[in-house]
Amino acid sequence: MAAERPVLEIENLTKKYGEFTALDSMTLSVDKGQILGLIGPNGAGKTTTIKILVGLQRPTSGHATIAGADCVRDAKKIKHLVGYMPDKFGSYENMRVREYLDFFGAAFGISRRIRNKRIDEVMETTGTTYMKDKFVDSLSHGMGQRVGIARTLIHDPEVIILDEPANGLDPQARIEMRELLLRLAAMGKTLLVTSHILPELARICNRAAIMTHGKLRAYGTVEEIGRQVSQQRLIEVQLENASQVEATATAIRQGLEAGAEVTPAPNESMVRFRTAKPEAELGALLAKLINAGLRVTQFREVQTDLEDAFMTFARPNQPAGGTGRP
Amino acid sequence: MNNPVLGRELLSLFRSRRMALVQCLLPAVLGLLILLRWPSEDRLALSGNRSMEVFRLFALGLLSTMLLLMPVFPATSIVKEKITGTLALLLNTPLGGFRIYFGKLLAILALAALVMLLSLPAACACYALGGIRFDSHLVKLYVLLALVVLQCTTLGLLVSTYAGTIDGAIRVTYGIMLGLSVVSLGPHFFFQGTDGYLATIGDWLRCASPFAALASVLGAGDLGSQGLMSVTDVPGRFMLFSLGMAAVCAVWTLSRLNHSIFDRSRSAGMVADDQSAGVRLFRRLFFLVDPNRRSPGIPPLVNPVMVKEFRCRKFGRLHWLLRLVAVMAMLSLALAFAATAGSTDWSVSRIGAIMVILQVALFVLITPSIAAALLSSERESGGWLLLQSTPLSPWRIVWGKLLSVILTVALVFCATLPGYLVIVMIEPGMVSQVQRALVCLAFTAVFSMMLSAGVGSLFSRTTASTTIAYIVLLLVSVVPLLIWLGRDAPFGQSTVEKALLVNPAGAAMSALRAEGFTDYNLIPGNWWFLGGASVVCLIVLLVQTWRISRPQ
Repeated sequence: MAAERPVLEIENLTKKYGEFTALDSMTLSVDKGQILGLIGPNGAGKTTTIKILVGLQRPTSGHATIAGADCVRDAKKIKHLVGYMPDKFGSYENMRVREYLDFFGAAFGISRRIRNKRIDEVMETTGTTYMKDKFVDSLSHGMGQRVGIARTLIHDPEVIILDEPANGLDPQARIEMRELLLRLAAMGKTLLVTSHILPELARICNRAAIMTHGKLRAYGTVEEIGRQVSQQRLIEVQLENASQVEATATAIRQGLEAGAEVTPAPNESMVRFRTAKPEAELGALLAKLINAGLRVTQFREVQTDLEDAFMTFARPNQPAGGTGRP
Repeated sequence: MNNPVLGRELLSLFRSRRMALVQCLLPAVLGLLILLRWPSEDRLALSGNRSMEVFRLFALGLLSTMLLLMPVFPATSIVKEKITGTLALLLNTPLGGFRIYFGKLLAILALAALVMLLSLPAACACYALGGIRFDSHLVKLYVLLALVVLQCTTLGLLVSTYAGTIDGAIRVTYGIMLGLSVVSLGPHFFFQGTDGYLATIGDWLRCASPFAALASVLGAGDLGSQGLMSVTDVPGRFMLFSLGMAAVCAVWTLSRLNHSIFDRSRSAGMVADDQSAGVRLFRRLFFLVDPNRRSPGIPPLVNPVMVKEFRCRKFGRLHWLLRLVAVMAMLSLALAFAATAGSTDWSVSRIGAIMVILQVALFVLITPSIAAALLSSERESGGWLLLQSTPLSPWRIVWGKLLSVILTVALVFCATLPGYLVIVMIEPGMVSQVQRALVCLAFTAVFSMMLSAGVGSLFSRTTASTTIAYIVLLLVSVVPLLIWLGRDAPFGQSTVEKALLVNPAGAAMSALRAEGFTDYNLIPGNWWFLGGASVVCLIVLLVQTWRISRPQ
């Protein structure tokens, strides 16, 4: 059976404003039901990418498709395929939540009978049923974000694009938002989410893309990105007692390349080192330590998290990194 | 006085590009006004009549400028800080309400002083022409201007403490100033020379108008006096009224500049459907169209943007409009009946003139508030982005918005129709006059709508679009009428006719052969102007819509 085609495909997407390049040859793709986290500092090109995807901006070159529809040529089709929530809620005065959803449902041309059913469904999904008679301009930020997601779901889109959905939310609302996004992915929706709250994103994203200065620097799972950040893996060796720390450090130095970074930490009964050696050689090193009578209780790799990866790429003069192929 | 609020206000007022433009434009416009009336003959007029004509024009222009320019600054001053949250920060400092208030007041007065200073070269030019006395003309003019500024600044600041939105504050402040300056002249115009309390009230009311005081200071007699002499000390009464009003407004505003200004509970979103049957019935009778009823879904084949506009509009919501129109309809009916039944000595054309003024006042008051921010409110709230992400085309969005204004304006247009019908039924000879007047009013409705929408579309902020639309519509609707009021002096027949040619109310009153308008031939010139200007504004609106909706 042939592999299913990615729902979202971006190929060599470039956007220039005169001399300034806001987006530089971006290429990536996302499969159905996946959550892609788009990360980058302000001005990295995230919003430009999103606006091209929803048809609000035209690329200078390259193309993007959503479920086979071209974001430029099939702009009308794209509107039905995509649910877009900008970073600004876009509330209207004197309008109740149900009226608000009814208006956007009517704007998408959904018949009144189906619309009423759909409104009930999206309010149920987003947990906003109890707000139906509240005025949208009186909602708290967290409530507003959930109503915003209900609005993006009203026409049952295949792809949902959320610009900073967790911004300004309190911890409880953030957890609820995270659960909601996972629920949507479980329903088969493909999500593209931008956020500055990286630990949150790391917990829900299947894939992440790091952008700086309009370029895609890294793309893949959080683990893959960690590898792209640094070829040198950080290994921690936990010992039973602190007296063996120096002997362990010496043994490790002998087993590694010259000049390798080895840091003994007697207070923690631990030795840390960085190495580019493959798994097999690390296994041999562990065997050597045990054979030398050193009481190793743990030998583990410390994962580079999304924050570390982001900070690495956000540093000035970083060369362009990964490609967007999954 | 070391007041940080004053410093900050002055800085934000004076460092804007708009203010630089005002500082350049104002002397140029005033200079141009004087140049237009500057004597071109070789002979010197010893009587000073010519120089007084120039000075009257200059004074009227300066007063109009002050009334159009100044209210926006105090009106937005406090409400803007309330919305952005900086007022809470200020109240949390040891400054206190008193220093915050006077910091803002003095900054706006300093701005007004600058505007007056900029007018001094033009005033000196008038003075150099001779025939103008320093103390009784120049000094009195500037004292009057200072009083007007003080009055509108204190009023604007008070309104600003109550307002929830910037455009609401602007609307209310301009509305009150329009009422005080122009509408207050109405009762005197119609009741002067009669006996009874109505004439006395009219005589007192007009003293609230700076235009009446200005006319008296400049020796132009009573504004719209219709040849009747008056011994009322209008400037004196105006001074008392404006100072009294400023004092009351200042004390009132100071009493509100504390933590209580934020006491506004978040609406719980009460729904009438959940109330008891009795309450529901009462609300249905009281509201006609209950705003708190759970609304049904948007029906098919109806433009959803139009429904959205009706639902989320604060000013001009249907239940208020219906009441307003009902009151106006009853008023016009009563007026028409009173005139035609002979219970007053007013002529039918005079009644028609009152109805035209009522109708035009409704258009001027309502239309900019619902039509000026058609695009800017969406752009400001982020709604435009959401609308663009729906399959609705930009033209359908704008058509839905325009439709909501057209229906409202049509409703307002119907407000005085019963009155005209009564006139026609009792005086069938007036059919053609009434028909022409109604065509004028229809043109007025379309013009005020398109002007507000077109001018408003040029701005991305609701405040700017609403303010500028009000100013432009007021300029077209009120200034020519003020020129008409000075038709004996300083303005001649041709100047007044040219001014009235662009005025929506003038043509309708001319069509009705109302007193004072019989000498002017304004139709069809006025229709051509209003129609042409409406088309231009529509083109501006469409171009702006295209510009903001095309993918970048």
